[in-house]
Amino acid sequence: MISKMKHLLAALAISGFVISTPITATAAEPSAATIEEGKKLAFSRSKGNCLACHAIKGGSMPGNIGPALVAMKLRFPDKQKLVDKIWGTPETQTVPNSMMPPFGRHGILTDDEVNTITDYIYTL
Amino acid sequence: MKKTLLIALSLGVSMLATSSMAATIDPETDRQQFIEFFKAKNPNISPEEYINGAYVYSADKMAQWEAAEEFPPYLDAIDEGEALYNKDLAVYQKCFGSDVSKIRVKYPYFDEASKQVVTLEGAINKCRTDAGLKPYGWKKGPIAQISAYLADNARGQKIDVKIESDAALAAYNKGRDFFNKPRGQFNLSCAKCHVDNSGRNARSNTLSAALGHTTHFPVFRAKWQNLGTLHRRYEGCQKNIRAKPYKAQSETYRDLEFFQAYMSNGLEINGPGYRE
Repeated sequence: MISKMKHLLAALAISGFVISTPITATAAEPSAATIEEGKKLAFSRSKGNCLACHAIKGGSMPGNIGPALVAMKLRFPDKQKLVDKIWGTPETQTVPNSMMPPFGRHGILTDDEVNTITDYIYTL
Repeated sequence: MKKTLLIALSLGVSMLATSSMAATIDPETDRQQFIEFFKAKNPNISPEEYINGAYVYSADKMAQWEAAEEFPPYLDAIDEGEALYNKDLAVYQKCFGSDVSKIRVKYPYFDEASKQVVTLEGAINKCRTDAGLKPYGWKKGPIAQISAYLADNARGQKIDVKIESDAALAAYNKGRDFFNKPRGQFNLSCAKCHVDNSGRNARSNTLSAALGHTTHFPVFRAKWQNLGTLHRRYEGCQKNIRAKPYKAQSETYRDLEFFQAYMSNGLEINGPGYRE
């Protein structure tokens, strides 16, 4: 019984570790194809759906719950911080009553998709 | 100045949201704060106006909605409801009395005997099964039609939910907790959309204010193309945020309705309503 409990606790600890591990921003300059792919994900209603809350250049009927996605390099000099924000690491949850879902943490997007979207958002 | 006030208020609400179910929770204080919040957020909208949902935020949409309400698509449903009610009139009169204008306003209430929140729809079906009749499905069709008929007869009366025992307060607290707690894949709470961000747009849909949410149900939604109950809407809302919905008339939703109706105390019953 006790060993079983230990097993369970270890499994929980490991899965907790995996779940809370943030991902690393892509360092290399993304290709035009990656950026285009990121834009598709960002505009897709079932994926990023960034337009639900944010105005984005080229996007129609955006919501106005979050700020417009402009001057992203100025607002996020460190690209990693933007990745973390979209992925949803706990330390990025600083806006009171924020509506922004933790896309990576809750499995709405895969880690690759979070990176691809970030590559696109970072061009705005 | 306005911004500072808003921030202070939203902090107040978020603290309300995160505080545990302490014994110090007072529903009446909650309700006052709720109203003050919406007043501060939109000083030009009076609390009474929120019974008309998200349309209060846009003059254009309000005009379209008012036009739709002149010959509303739910009229047939009210007639259907009346016919259904009269078909089993003797049964219903035994449960609800003979004056159909005095029924809707009694719900939801906390039943001290069963220690449960009783909703109008719950009472209709209980009345049926107690008399040996088949219960209706919970979300649309006959139950929504009868609910619409009773709401229509109660129009203009004011929501008057009472909390008079610790058990009732506990049900209120459960509903309040549900309302404030983020859930689902999108990590959203009722409060985030319908308090903090009410009036803002998600894509082109305006988020309605939680104040007045229960006054106009059941609703005929253009999206549904028929009439649906409040709990049907709760389920849809939960699916939208990718949370597993509870069952219509589950204790969870009945407690949520109890909390929401209390927040709308003093507002006019204006159901059934037409909604996008």
